[in-house]
Order: sequence, then structure tokens, then C-alpha cells
Amino acid sequence: MWRALPALILTDLRLALRMRTVVFFNYLFPLMFFFAFAEFLDAHGEACAQVAGMVLVIGILGNGLWGAGMRLVQEREANILRRFRVTPISPTPILLASVVTGWLLYLPALGLLCALAHWIYGMPLPTRWVSLLLLTSCGIWAFRAIGLIVASVVNGVQESTVLIQLLYMPMLFLGGAAIPVELLPAWAQVAARFVPSYYLVSSMQNALGHGDPAAWHGAEIAALLLATGVGLSIARQAFRWEKDDPLSPRARWYLAAVLAPFLALGIWQLATAPPTAGTRTPTHPERITPPDTPSSADPAAGCGRRPPRRPTFPV
Amino acid sequence: MIYVKDLRKQYDGFLAVKGISFEVQPGEVFGLLGPNGAGKTTTVEILEGLRQRSGGEVRVLGFDPADDGLLLKDRIGVCLQQAALPDRLRVGEAIALFASFYSRTVPGEALLRRLQLWDKRDAFFMHLSGGQKQRLALALALINDPQLLFLDEPSAGLDAQARLEIRSLIGELRAEKRTLLLTTHYIEEAERLCDRVAIMDEGRLIAMGAPREIQEHALGASTIELQTAQALPPGELPAWPGLLRQARDGSGRGLTIVTTRPAAAVMEAVPWLIAHRIELQDIRIRRPSLEDAFIELTGKNLRD
Ligand SMILES: Nc1ncnc2c1ncn2[C@@H]1O[C@H](COP(=O)(O)OP(=O)(O)O)[C@@H](O)[C@H]1O
Ligand SMILES: [Mg+2]
Repeated sequence: MWRALPALILTDLRLALRMRTVVFFNYLFPLMFFFAFAEFLDAHGEACAQVAGMVLVIGILGNGLWGAGMRLVQEREANILRRFRVTPISPTPILLASVVTGWLLYLPALGLLCALAHWIYGMPLPTRWVSLLLLTSCGIWAFRAIGLIVASVVNGVQESTVLIQLLYMPMLFLGGAAIPVELLPAWAQVAARFVPSYYLVSSMQNALGHGDPAAWHGAEIAALLLATGVGLSIARQAFRWEKDDPLSPRARWYLAAVLAPFLALGIWQLATAPPTAGTRTPTHPERITPPDTPSSADPAAGCGRRPPRRPTFPV
Repeated sequence: MIYVKDLRKQYDGFLAVKGISFEVQPGEVFGLLGPNGAGKTTTVEILEGLRQRSGGEVRVLGFDPADDGLLLKDRIGVCLQQAALPDRLRVGEAIALFASFYSRTVPGEALLRRLQLWDKRDAFFMHLSGGQKQRLALALALINDPQLLFLDEPSAGLDAQARLEIRSLIGELRAEKRTLLLTTHYIEEAERLCDRVAIMDEGRLIAMGAPREIQEHALGASTIELQTAQALPPGELPAWPGLLRQARDGSGRGLTIVTTRPAAAVMEAVPWLIAHRIELQDIRIRRPSLEDAFIELTGKNLRD
């Protein structure tokens, strides 16, 4: 297995780089959001860290859920996994290789985005590199692991697409990756606390900017690491080499297990710092400058959604 | 090498393998011959540890494939009937990847050269022809230098040229004294390549032995066709050894003898013709083919 793992990673990397969709979702797609958000929000200087944080999480969600969730399903359907099954490897190196590959693919996107934000929008270069790197890494690992569970519990590409959408959409729109949580209605702000991406967005924004220098986001990192560990061991248990392999009826509940760390985090957060509509939560330091014109105040314009416009964007 | 006793496999209510037993000795090429749906793939994939059996006993290289899967898989080579590689994986990369899985491997370059894939080492899997894909599958099956190989319909779906290449490669493996379990629905493949054949139909083994033994047991009769220069004498013809039936042809200068003892029949027929001053122009002896045996045993034609 310890010789197979690097070989599998190398293969996964090669195959990924030979696919246009992978390059698109890891690099171009987040960049499109980045420029759209930055322009609409007119986010220059420090404020750009908010946008960069959101966009990085959009990339992480895409890389994790879509990248890991689709690939294994496709390989299973194409009878590729069954060829691996008659070799002496277990699912473990296959799953680990998927996690590591997603991570290696995404790290350049982190650098690219920081560089562009710095050059074009004058975002100060992040000073807390370690936190940033840790958050990005743990984020990718956790969402890859979740994607791998999805791949194990679905029966085909179509089912996988549906299930991934079910996870992706709330993480995108409720978790603050596509719309700042402050712009959401009060109930949604409470719900956001139970969405894993919420913690990632807020802590990434903090680590990118110069918000709370004392916060190194131990709780968030721990929750992400726990989700990675739980997710990988579930994905290993539920791993299916062939479509015909039986799927235990409990398997879909496994997904709930991997989201449990965030449930706990949400309860804890709500208990210690309940959100009040119109005020900001401590994890969201104030950094976005108000937009010049009312029309550009809609940060979701780029994604076709119109959140309620309320004066929740204080200076 | 392989020991199978009373193997059964059930797919939700449907019994695909109905209690079969056989053994394969070291160095032997053993063929499972049968029509589509006979249960050949099910059987070999249970032996490879790919599927779970519903009953019976199985030992492969001393391992139970259901328990010691990884140890077993490290030592066998497998060519699946249904398998693929990622479209954009290059031939050379596939070899290197699979080599990393095994505790013991042969050099990739030599393997690719031997299978005439060296020129294709940079080609994507999706750009290979059917024959090249099958040669790559064989290369991957040989990467760990296995003494035991499972080849599931190795030449099915290939054109005649590619099929010949694969067969000559299997011939080489046989000459190297590797043990082979191969399945096929091509009779001539079983006849030419296998030391022993088991005929499988609807989940059962209905005959087993050397191809020649099966032929003889199944039908036991050969056909002798004689062509003579002069007409055969009228009246009763002699009762040749082992005679089942005989018939003259329309011209009176041809005779067809169906007998279980073709050699003895010829030994008597020739002096009889000489005694009647009849010149023998042509003689042809047709042994029953494995195909005849197959049709006899199963009542089915393999080619449909
Ligand atoms: N995974 C499966 N689920 C249900 N039935 C199967 C499965 N695999 C094979 N069968 C059935 O079992 C029988 C034997 O199939 P198979 O072993 O593939 O035969 P062969 O290889 O001789 O063509 C067929 O009737 C086939 O439809
Ligand atoms: Mg078959």
C-alpha cells in the first residue's frame, strides 16, 4: 500500500490535469466568482479578503463534493474499479489518493487567488499563512471525504449529481460562500450555524484579513479534521467496487454522521453567541466597505439569486 | 493449484452455478467451455475473490479467496471479461501503476515489448484497438509474474488477426509452464489451447477431460469417406469393426462408413477393396470435433 499510494496519487493527478472540467472547476470557476464579487461589491484593499474567503470556499466545495463525488462513481460505472479489485490493494489507498490529489490540485488556486487579489484589488498579502494553509487543507480534506461518501452511497452518476446538489447548494448559499451570511434572513442565519461551509468561510476570511489576530480557529480546524477522519473511515466501510455490490440501507445515514461535528459546533456557537439580525457575529469581522451604488449592493447578482436587501451591511 | 468442490452461486433467487467440482493441476491449461450465460464468469470471479460464493469449498494456491483475498491477489494474474482503464491513462502509466500494487514485479519495458505494446506506450487507453486493449490486459495480468492466470474469454470480440495473436501468446504462457484457467465459447480455442476442458452449461459441468477424451466419450464415432475409381460391387457390404451405419453415394463410387473403430475399419476395408480389384482414390477420416461433442452433450449450438 505504501508504494501504491504515491503511484495512485501521480495517476490521479495526471488524469485530473487531462480533464478540462477539473481545471475549470478548480481554477476558472472560482476566479469568475472572484472577479464578479469583487467588482459588484467594489471590494478593494482589506475588504477583498471577504471576497477571497468566499471564493476560496466555493472552490473547496467544488473540488471536494464534485471532484471526489463524481470521479469514483464514473470509474465504478465504467468497470474500472473492478479491474483494481483483482489487484492486492484495498480501498484505503484509493480514497487517500483522491483526498491528496484534490488537495494538491487546489493549493495553487489558493496562491493564485491571493496573488490576484493583491495585485488587482490591493488586498494586503495574508500574514497568517499557517492558519490559511491549515484551513484550506482541512477544508479540502473534509469535503473530499464527504464527496467520497457520496460516491459510495449512490448508484450512478445521476443519483450522485442529485445528492451532491443537495449538499452543495445549502453550503454555497446558506454557508456564506455565495452570499454573505449577514444578508440572509434571521432564520437562515441560525441555520447557517449548522452548515459546515459557514465555519470555513468565516475563518478563512479572518485568516486572510487582519481581523482577529488571536483567533487561529482551532475549533473549526478540529471539526474539519474530525469530519475528514469520520468521512474517510465511513467511505472505506461503504466503498463499492462495482454497481452490483450491495449497498447497506444504513449507508446513507453515514452522511449524517460526518456532518455531526458541525452540528455540535453549531449548537455550541448558538449557545455562546446567538446571532441577532442586523448585527454581526464575532466570526465575521467588519471589513466589507459599503458599495457605492444600490444596484451593486446585491452580492448574489453574479449567481442569479436575490437575497432580501436589508441594511445589514454596516461599515 | 485450484480446488473447487460443490461450488454454488445464487443471484437473488437464481442459481447461476449449481454445485460444480473440479481441480486444476500445476502447469495445466484448463478450459471452461460453454455458451453465454453458462456461469463461466461467475465461477472464475469467485476463484479470483471478486465475488462471494453461496456454497461449496474453494482453494486457490492454498488460499480461500473469500478470506485471504489480498494475499491471493498478489500472486495471481487476471484478465477480466468486463474491465476497463481510465480513458486518458497511457499504456506505460498503466503498467507503472499496476506494478506498484504487487510485492513482486517484472520489468515493464520487457513486458510491453513482449506484448508488442512498446510503440504504444504513450498512447491513451481510449485510443487503443480492441486487440491492443486485450494485449494490455494480458500485460497487466503478467506484471507480477504469476504462476496462475485466469483469462476470461481472452479472445472474445476480437477480429481474426487479433484473436490469433492472443492465442499464440496463450500458447507461449503454456510453454512457460504457467497454470492457466481460461474460459471460452470458442471450441477451436479450447481444442487447441487446453490440456483439459470442462464443458459447462446452465451452471453445471456436463463433461470434463482432455479435448480428445470428451470428443470420444460424447459421440464415439468417426466418419470414413472412401472414393474409388471403379464402382463398388453390388449387394451386401461387409460389417466393418465398430460399424454404426454406412451408405453408398449416388455414383456407386463413394462410400461413407460411420464407426466407433475407424482404424480397424480401415485396416479391413483396404484389403477388401484390393481383393475386389477396386482402386482407392481418396480416403478421408473425420474425427468427431469438440463441437459435435458439445452439441451432443448440450443439445445446443455454441455459435448462437
Ligand atoms: N451480478 C449478477 N446478478 C444477477 N445475475 C447474474 C449476475 N452475473 C451473472 N448473472 C447471471 O448468471 C448467469 C451466468 O452468468 P455468467 O457467469 O456471466 O456466464 P458466462 O460467463 O458463462 O457467460 C447468467 O444467466 C447471468 O445472467
Ligand atoms: Mg462470461
